[in-house]
Amino acid sequence: MRKIILGVVYAALVAGSGAHAADSVAGKQKAKTCAACHGPEGNSLTPDFPRLAGQHYDYLVKALTDYKSGARKNPIMEPQAKNLSQRDIADIAAYFSEQKGLRTKY
Amino acid sequence: MRNLNKTNLSRLLSVTMAAVLAAASGSVLAGAGDPAAGKKKNSMCAGCHGIADYRTAFPEVYSVPKLGGQHAAYIIKALQEYKAGDRSHPSMRAIASSLSDQDMADLAAYYASDAAKSAGK
Repeated sequence: MRKIILGVVYAALVAGSGAHAADSVAGKQKAKTCAACHGPEGNSLTPDFPRLAGQHYDYLVKALTDYKSGARKNPIMEPQAKNLSQRDIADIAAYFSEQKGLRTKY
Repeated sequence: MRNLNKTNLSRLLSVTMAAVLAAASGSVLAGAGDPAAGKKKNSMCAGCHGIADYRTAFPEVYSVPKLGGQHAAYIIKALQEYKAGDRSHPSMRAIASSLSDQDMADLAAYYASDAAKSAGK
């Protein structure tokens, strides 16, 4: 009985966590607005706008979440992020993190 | 006398112009980042940004962003925002505060230097 309860609790936790729900195919559709500045597939051609392609999923989630909450301030990104749900943020972050571009450099 | 004055005036003008041009190009040179110098200055960066999948420990846990191939202008902007306190992360604020404009330009040039190779399609 105890095992069953633990199993149900675990299943609920997994289902409830946003990271597992991220869908990069949906993210590609939702990221169309982003391309205007961040470039095709997140490889921005404009030096002032960061490359997003290949960036870590959870860093992108944090950046967008902070823009949405106002913790990170930017006149362009704040209004963009305000319109996104946590699901949108997860999907968009999944899409950009799967593209080829940035890398870890020592 | 009048001719001499004219000569002096034009000489003064050309000297002034040369000085202005030299000062202008000098400031451009000082502002341009040197990737080789940046590589020597990045020991403070590499401990986190140089380790694949390294995560922050405080105040929140998430992956430290990849910098290889990032635009230099964006890296400089990020460092300046940390230094000014406009972007908040305790470690980054402390490190950015210790950097001069030239340090930032050099580090940015280093991380951006092989963008063409690392950037995808």
